[in-house]
Amino acid sequence: MIKYRLRPNVVVKIERRLHYPRKLSVLSTILSILIAFGVAGAALTILGADALIAYSQIIAVFITPSLLIETIKYAIPIGFAALGLNIAFRMNFWNIGAEGQIYLGMFASTGIVLLHVYYGMFPEYFVLPMMIVTSFIAGGAWCALPSFLKAKMKVNEILTTLMMNYIAIYFVDYLIYGPWRDPKGFGFPLSIPFPEYAKLTLIFGESTYLGSILFIAMATLVYCILKYTKLGFELKIVGESLDTARYAGTNLTKVITLGGFLSGGFAGLGGLTIVSGIIGRLRPRASAGYGYTAIIVTLLSTLNPWLIIPTSIFFGGLFVAGNTLQVTLNIPGATIEMLQALIFLFILFGELFKRYKITILTGGGKPEP
Amino acid sequence: MEELVHLHGIVKRFPGVIANDNVDFTLKRGEIHALLGENGAGKTTLMNILYGLYKPDSGEIYIEGRRVEIRSPKEAIKLGIGMVHQNFKLIPQHTVLENVILGLKDVGFIIDSKKIGEEIKKLAEQYNWKIDPHVFVWQLSAGEKQQVELLKILYRKAKILILDEPTSVLTPQECKYLFYALRMMVKEGRGVIFITHKLDEALAISDRVTVMRRGKVVATKNTWETDIKELASFMIGRPVLFNIEKNKTYSDEELVIVRNLKVFNDAGVLSLKNVNLTIRKNEIFGIIGVTGNGQQELAEVLAGLRRPVDGEIIIDGIKIVDPNPQKMIELGVAYIPPEPMKYGVAPNLSVIDNLFLKAYRYRPYSKKIFIDIKKMEKKAEEIVEKFNIVCPSPSIKVRSLSGGNIQRLILARELSELIGGVRSKLIIATYPTKGLDIAAAEFLNKSLIEYSKLGTSILYITEDIEEAMMVCDRIGVIHDGKIVGTFKPGEVSVEKIGLMMAGADASISS
Repeated sequence: MIKYRLRPNVVVKIERRLHYPRKLSVLSTILSILIAFGVAGAALTILGADALIAYSQIIAVFITPSLLIETIKYAIPIGFAALGLNIAFRMNFWNIGAEGQIYLGMFASTGIVLLHVYYGMFPEYFVLPMMIVTSFIAGGAWCALPSFLKAKMKVNEILTTLMMNYIAIYFVDYLIYGPWRDPKGFGFPLSIPFPEYAKLTLIFGESTYLGSILFIAMATLVYCILKYTKLGFELKIVGESLDTARYAGTNLTKVITLGGFLSGGFAGLGGLTIVSGIIGRLRPRASAGYGYTAIIVTLLSTLNPWLIIPTSIFFGGLFVAGNTLQVTLNIPGATIEMLQALIFLFILFGELFKRYKITILTGGGKPEP
Repeated sequence: MEELVHLHGIVKRFPGVIANDNVDFTLKRGEIHALLGENGAGKTTLMNILYGLYKPDSGEIYIEGRRVEIRSPKEAIKLGIGMVHQNFKLIPQHTVLENVILGLKDVGFIIDSKKIGEEIKKLAEQYNWKIDPHVFVWQLSAGEKQQVELLKILYRKAKILILDEPTSVLTPQECKYLFYALRMMVKEGRGVIFITHKLDEALAISDRVTVMRRGKVVATKNTWETDIKELASFMIGRPVLFNIEKNKTYSDEELVIVRNLKVFNDAGVLSLKNVNLTIRKNEIFGIIGVTGNGQQELAEVLAGLRRPVDGEIIIDGIKIVDPNPQKMIELGVAYIPPEPMKYGVAPNLSVIDNLFLKAYRYRPYSKKIFIDIKKMEKKAEEIVEKFNIVCPSPSIKVRSLSGGNIQRLILARELSELIGGVRSKLIIATYPTKGLDIAAAEFLNKSLIEYSKLGTSILYITEDIEEAMMVCDRIGVIHDGKIVGTFKPGEVSVEKIGLMMAGADASISS
């Protein structure tokens, strides 16, 4: 319990709540989002834009069928990365590197396409499955390295995963400006367009559908890993306390490395859904910070894989709305990033009121005569 | 005698419980008043109200006859109330003097350490304490740290002293010094409230005793008018047995052999210097000593959590090479760690998860990469029932259980033969009854004794001599990383054991 004294006779007491009801938690999340929208609206008004039009366009993203399909398309890479982060955060491994792991996924999938197109490796029907497997392995390895270092040498994962993002991003930049540039692309920094059989549009024409099926399947998979496997149980203990896990005889190196691998693997799959779902080729900076948005999505979903589906759709919608707002209202695209940040900030504030009871006492104080 | 403190009709509710239910309490000038009760009886809550940490829901507080409202410890200190918490609130890197004057306003900007040092020294000498005000607190023993805490309060001219379980870190000799000093303090016109759950202590030191149970005051008595049996029955609401029948058959087979064991502590210092011990089948071997003399390291080595530097460990004929926790668990070593919340349980996980903290990876609860939740749930319900773990459902978080129930949970996990359905060969129990109430401690000790009869060896580490005498078949005294003496209960007097614990006599053995 902390106490602050403001004026001589006012004492502010902050007491930790022993229990907080679920209602309070839902209420504080909704309230935080509303306040964030309010503040963002005020900022828009200052920029000279009509906040009400902005709001209506944001809402439109979720109720107009054609825009909703677009929204879900953007939600999928975010959701995949978030599913991975769910595994990492479960074991208290603060993976900030989903962005880099996404790039590794994009690198691996594009690599497979290039091997097939340029060198004729693998039959056509084998390309997409190969892309799925290699993007998972590439993203996974990118995260397994920092997680192994953490397990073996207690290297702080926040630093390593974050730094490795830059390596991944610049590595992909190099490939696209260099050896992987499309020779028939008029010098633009783009890879060759993917052939149809290497894209998620393969089955239903629109990548959203196949992507959604994969998304739901992966959410189910993550849920099952966490709930029904030894690894899930071990992640839970490791996340609670390393000392407890050690006491219980859990193989820490194995669990943390494997957990990191899975976490990065799902982000790598997210990378695949960008190049073969949204863009259809590789270009520099192909991920617009989805890996960072995924951190917010995972935390807002309270580490529940099912909640990641609606939450990532919400944030996917904000990306799409950002694009339209930029065009229609002529406001900077960063406004949407601001809105994202505000939502997160207010939810953190809400957390304070959820966990602590704050009372203000006035009067009294001195002994009565 | 004049009343220093009068608490009248104090009520304090926490979500789901009434911690103080209409409590009346008085402290007179010149008396030591023991506040006795089991954990969770409401003693500490009541004292936190007096010290301004909690605001009572209703009730009145009178200090020296005047009605007051105490809203913070600062106001309490102004009113002459001082509290020594169970865990010391000192800054180890600062000197005694700096700790004593910390937070005082009237010392001024430039500290006249010579003058203040003299004052502190004089104050300490009144109670026969030999404390140099200029040494660092980390250099002091637990007993001396407590003296600094008291000096801190006395320097602020407190008239009302509250001591929360002050003897839990002291050797029997240090306790005597403390009692002597407290006597002096009340003679000078102060009043002392002595919070404890140890009956003999309450009888030894106090003038009056107030017993609390479940938030209510059960009785307030003059100490000379009551006895240990009466107080115990007040405390737990029924008469208690003070001796546990053992009825054991002893075996000569040596199950655990430890030879020349040397181990580093976390700071890289040799904390086990040369430990030799053997534990026979069926035997409960006690280790007593002042905390921090290597007990923790001994337990951790045997549990596989710490690597030995040198020496030999043999369990049931198998020489242990390169121990790790998993290996030791599979070998049949169960470990009841100290401070369960630290690593004995995962507080945010369910009772089921905690029961299967170790067994989840063994058959029949696991197959290949999967775990069998249904089987775990079923078995957990059985265990909860058998060990009388009070919880609304096994899927509730352990955090919400009481200390006694958490200890029962750990005991249940270590005794339930979950791993391969085999009984443990060795149980290491470190301070297993610390923080437990009488009934829970009795249950735990009885369970361990019953279990040892089945052929398991038990290493019972404690700092409570009485308890060790009651439970153990043989006792070793540990001091400075060595076993300085081994004896059977009753062979050596408590005073002599106290001396051995303090390292004064390292030659007694039988």
